[in-house]
Amino acid sequence: MSKTRNFSPSRVIAVTWRILTQISRDRRTIALMIFIPAIIMLIFGFVLGGQAKNLPVIVDNQDAGYTVHVGQNSTSFDFGSKVLSSLQSDDRVKLSQGSFDSGKIGVDNGTYYASITFPANFSEVLILRNAGQSINAPVTIYIDGTNPTIEATVLAALQSSMQNTVGSGGVVLNEQFAFGGVQFSSLDISIPAVISLVLTQTVLLISLIVIVRETTSGVLSRLYATPLSAFERLLGYSIALLLLAMAMTGIVLFIGLGIFGAVVQGSFALLFLGAVLYASLNIFLAVFLSNFARNELQAVQMVPLITLTSMALSGMLIPVDSFPDWVQTVARFVPMYYANRVFEGIMLKGYGIDNLAPQFIIIGGIALLFFVMAVMTVKDRMPD
Amino acid sequence: MANPSMYSLKEPVIETSNLVKIYKEGAIKAVDGLNLKIGKGEIYALIGANGSGKTTTISMLTGSLFPTSGEIRVLGLQVPKKRRIVAAAIGVAPQEYALYSDLTVEQNVWFFAKLYSMDRSSFLKRLDELLPILRLDERRRTAVYNLSGGMKRRVSIACALVHQPRIVFFDEATVGIDPVLRAFFWDYFRSLAEAGLTIVLTSHVMDEAERANRIGLMRAGKLIEHGTPEEIKQRHSASSIEQVFLKLSEGAVADE
Repeated sequence: MSKTRNFSPSRVIAVTWRILTQISRDRRTIALMIFIPAIIMLIFGFVLGGQAKNLPVIVDNQDAGYTVHVGQNSTSFDFGSKVLSSLQSDDRVKLSQGSFDSGKIGVDNGTYYASITFPANFSEVLILRNAGQSINAPVTIYIDGTNPTIEATVLAALQSSMQNTVGSGGVVLNEQFAFGGVQFSSLDISIPAVISLVLTQTVLLISLIVIVRETTSGVLSRLYATPLSAFERLLGYSIALLLLAMAMTGIVLFIGLGIFGAVVQGSFALLFLGAVLYASLNIFLAVFLSNFARNELQAVQMVPLITLTSMALSGMLIPVDSFPDWVQTVARFVPMYYANRVFEGIMLKGYGIDNLAPQFIIIGGIALLFFVMAVMTVKDRMPD
Repeated sequence: MANPSMYSLKEPVIETSNLVKIYKEGAIKAVDGLNLKIGKGEIYALIGANGSGKTTTISMLTGSLFPTSGEIRVLGLQVPKKRRIVAAAIGVAPQEYALYSDLTVEQNVWFFAKLYSMDRSSFLKRLDELLPILRLDERRRTAVYNLSGGMKRRVSIACALVHQPRIVFFDEATVGIDPVLRAFFWDYFRSLAEAGLTIVLTSHVMDEAERANRIGLMRAGKLIEHGTPEEIKQRHSASSIEQVFLKLSEGAVADE
């Protein structure tokens, strides 16, 4: 009898060989291994390649201009218009003109990111300051502070326009924050996005595993011979997973709000409802996808594809307004886009159901669509 | 015990005519023109080598797998067309254990009882009958993953019998059960059959098949011999079914 060595490279190679051979037998897994990283890289490339731009901003230029008389000569200055036209050519913002107050309403309901006004004496103050008076021209900006990237981009665009036209100094930016005048911490701002990420990732993963395990354990083929219909089975899965999702939502909210003290300006009940609605959307998506996964490995691979592409397209990293038009169109089909609007809306902006009804309806509609798709594709017998 | 050689078919509860199953993947003709007639209260054993089409046949009879062509009637109803109605009156113990390993013995059986719309009290009454017979009464609250293969097999049988079906299908149901217990089971099966339960089982253990009222021997999807064990042995002048099986399976080697 030959002595068995403590360590054998050939045994190690046997394990390596076995895993590679197994995977090579699973064509769907190989396809996913190629397809998923490719898709994710492409989407992230498109989304992250650009910077924030085309952010809708409204300007109310009250500047009356100022005329300087020197002897017989007189020269008119209109700095407000100069700043305005500089801002107009800046592709970081998409400018509209209108009254400051209507702009504020627009910021409050999410149409604009900022409403800016130049005072009537804007040019006058700048001229007099130039003549030696120590006065400053106040520019008021009413800004959405719920997304730091957007806030910084809008402010940078405004500041560089002023720099280019009237130089530095002399202008005081009077920054007013929308949504209760709060300047949010970066934690406050990230929690809504984290909630949608966690709900997508964990709910999809758990739902897929729970369902696919039934197929691989052999019980499913036994269930085919019982009075249980495929529809009853799907409904049973969904209710169980919904209860689990509610518990998970509870944990996420408890940690986010209880431990980290993230703000919720709107109704907590509405937030919970929105989270559960979005979780059920993901449950039904998982129920649908489970029809196409023959084993846990295939199922698990689907999750990052959905989570990461949703993350890129939902505006979580770069605002959707900055995407090329066609990507913006694609983003409108990503459920997480609406979930982010709901969570941000309720937590940071204090929106109620009156503001968020369209998003709730869309999320509910997509959830229903996924459920119908699941019912239509569910297998009720062994494969032919 | 009825004399097996004098067997006469009573009211048929399972009938197939020209039953064919060709799997899409591989285009294998798993079942090829099968004509079966199984009566009420009968113990019918489908025997044959691995891959001979026994499990495919059972799956079609239970409505879990749709035939390519041919007809099936179970309890007078067309299958798979009326399979949901038929399902309430049949029980299945498949080849794999097909149990929820995280659940206890009782929880597994309860799940199936619920699928057959049993209420809690009749379930508990039934469980008190079944568990001692299956020698599982001390394992009632044990999680299935802690059980031996033979015990899992018995839990699977419990799940198939809990709702007092009229027909039960055991696909290799007695594999992994020790000989003493197996003999005991056969007595139990026979008492159930006498009370009117039809038992269809598959096996590749020949001495076991000899205990059935009738045997159907399958090869390559076809029924190549059938009748009572005595009839078959006489016809082939053999002393055991195993001899007949070996004679008829010449060339077709069992792959396991």
